Amino acid sequence: MSYLYGGINQQQTINPQNVAMAEQELEIVTDTFQRIVDSCFKKCIPTQYLEGELNKGESVCIDRCATKFFK
Amino acid sequence: MDFSTLNDAERAHVQKLIEQKQMRDFMKFYTGLVERCFNDCVNDFTSKALTTKEETCVLRCTDKFIKYNERISLRFGELNQEFMQQQAAAAAQQQPGMNP
Repeated sequence: MSYLYGGINQQQTINPQNVAMAEQELEIVTDTFQRIVDSCFKKCIPTQYLEGELNKGESVCIDRCATKFFK
Repeated sequence: MDFSTLNDAERAHVQKLIEQKQMRDFMKFYTGLVERCFNDCVNDFTSKALTTKEETCVLRCTDKFIKYNERISLRFGELNQEFMQQQAAAAAQQQPGMNP
């Protein structure tokens, strides 16, 4: 590999370990996100669906729920 | 997520994986929405057609769930970024400079 020239090096090889690690991190992040979505929905949104908009209480609940989950 | 350790070819590969994942996640989101609103709203099987009550409930449920998802995605993005920064700061602290 030459350090003098810019641009994509045509001969770059893909290290499967790097890709596997990035893929694993992606999986973990999306799995965490899915769990937050499910848990906070159950806790914050009542199932009667009185209206189509999120009211203030639900919005605040969502924010707090997400923050607490991360803690 | 830190992709600075990947070279260009690896980055392109991971980008493609992300796109495929987004497609799958979108389908999961849709089917999840249908199931959730069905379970919560449709419980009257005295007729084959949706009653007005059920239809209104389903519309509200869909609206609400989509708005909920937007909000929580936003919060998650912010919190995740904060979290990653904290991790990076903690890692940097554990390795104080390589100066002899």
